[in-house]
Amino acid sequence: MATMFPVEVMTPEGAAFEGEVEMVSTRTTVGSIGIRANHQPVMAMLDPTELRLYVGGDEIRRFAQGEGYIQMAGNHALLLVEDAIPVEELDVNDLNDKLAEAEARLEASEDGTAARERAERDVSRWSTYRDIASS
Amino acid sequence: MASQRDTANRIGSVKNIQKITSAMQMVAAARLRKAEQRIAALRPYADTISRMTSQAAAAAGHVPQLPILNEHDSVDNVGLLLVTGDRGLAGSFNSQIIRAGIRARGEIADDGQSTTFYAVGRRGDSSLTFRNLAPKNSYIGFTDKPGYADARHISEELMAAYIDGELDQVDIIYNSYVSPLTQVVTRQRILPLQHASILEGGLDADEEGHAALQAGGDEGAGDAEAAGGSRALWLYEPDPEELLKRLIPDFVEITVFRALLESAASELGARMTAMRSASDNAGEMIQNLTLEMNRQRQAAITQEILEVVGGAEGL
Repeated sequence: MATMFPVEVMTPEGAAFEGEVEMVSTRTTVGSIGIRANHQPVMAMLDPTELRLYVGGDEIRRFAQGEGYIQMAGNHALLLVEDAIPVEELDVNDLNDKLAEAEARLEASEDGTAARERAERDVSRWSTYRDIASS
Repeated sequence: MASQRDTANRIGSVKNIQKITSAMQMVAAARLRKAEQRIAALRPYADTISRMTSQAAAAAGHVPQLPILNEHDSVDNVGLLLVTGDRGLAGSFNSQIIRAGIRARGEIADDGQSTTFYAVGRRGDSSLTFRNLAPKNSYIGFTDKPGYADARHISEELMAAYIDGELDQVDIIYNSYVSPLTQVVTRQRILPLQHASILEGGLDADEEGHAALQAGGDEGAGDAEAAGGSRALWLYEPDPEELLKRLIPDFVEITVFRALLESAASELGARMTAMRSASDNAGEMIQNLTLEMNRQRQAAITQEILEVVGGAEGL
């Protein structure tokens, strides 16, 4: 059996998960990353993706995860993310609305502005969540 | 003089009002507990962001020059973000923020600077518009249960205005939450972001570069030791400098989010107190009116007896 190690998933609105897992799978700005026990100390920036926590056996806890950071130190993983919504709580229609709204803002914004950058980030977040919800 | 029936009607309506105010009081009390928990839930997140920032600053060797950290050479236009609620019936909760905002505007004008208002909450928006001080932007519809996304939305807009030079300074005015009975109007600087506030221990802003390096260095070493290896083993993705570029704006978001959460809790506290005294007042009024009605009934009965007696004598 794989070695377990403690993981905490924190959001500004409280802890989304706290417990022992076999592996954490998420995506950094550089690419996908899987972390098991005794991983090298790492600090990375996360992009919106499906966060998977392999909690042992065949059980996988899935979350729609927003932007954030991961820190692995002392065999303890800490994920700080703006959102971590359990996949079963996602609402496809609601996400489609949000995506449409963000896309409209993206259309309306001008190149090189902060508004455009924000719209791009929103589009990427909502389309990721939508894909997770509808998969 | 009001008739007996009129007084009875008034008692009825005051009783109805009392039912509403005491229901509102109970709803506010029940929701206040949740609002308090949300303030507490933010703390560990905020603390961890601070720790990570210190570590990344240590690894990078310095804090990068981000536009939101730079003070503008001259301050001409000050942004004021007033945090109010969407609804009234909460005592002086909304009005004291508006008053503080208008006073701040006076002080800013004394220094020869102009003010741009931003409002959170329908009340702030409408009060400012009514006074011909229409806010540049209003954020409404979430003040009873603010989400992090709302705070992010507001902060990003303010940061963009600061970076583009539309604003040279941004302050937030909100009711900070002390207890259900006490809310304190607080004015806090959010932009330019102070170096001291992003690194633990409240460093002197003048020595920011070195101090940041030192404080961050100690912190980073501590973390690395905890990890059981030297700092060179740390893997940063992307490099620490890039990490800081995203971590530092998070402080503005967290500050705004905390203000929104505290304001939401304060609003409930203020509403609870206001509704309690409204219910008490209604109770007192019902008592007085009941007394009044009994007096009227007594007077009417006396009147009738007199008429009967008078009529009998006339026979």
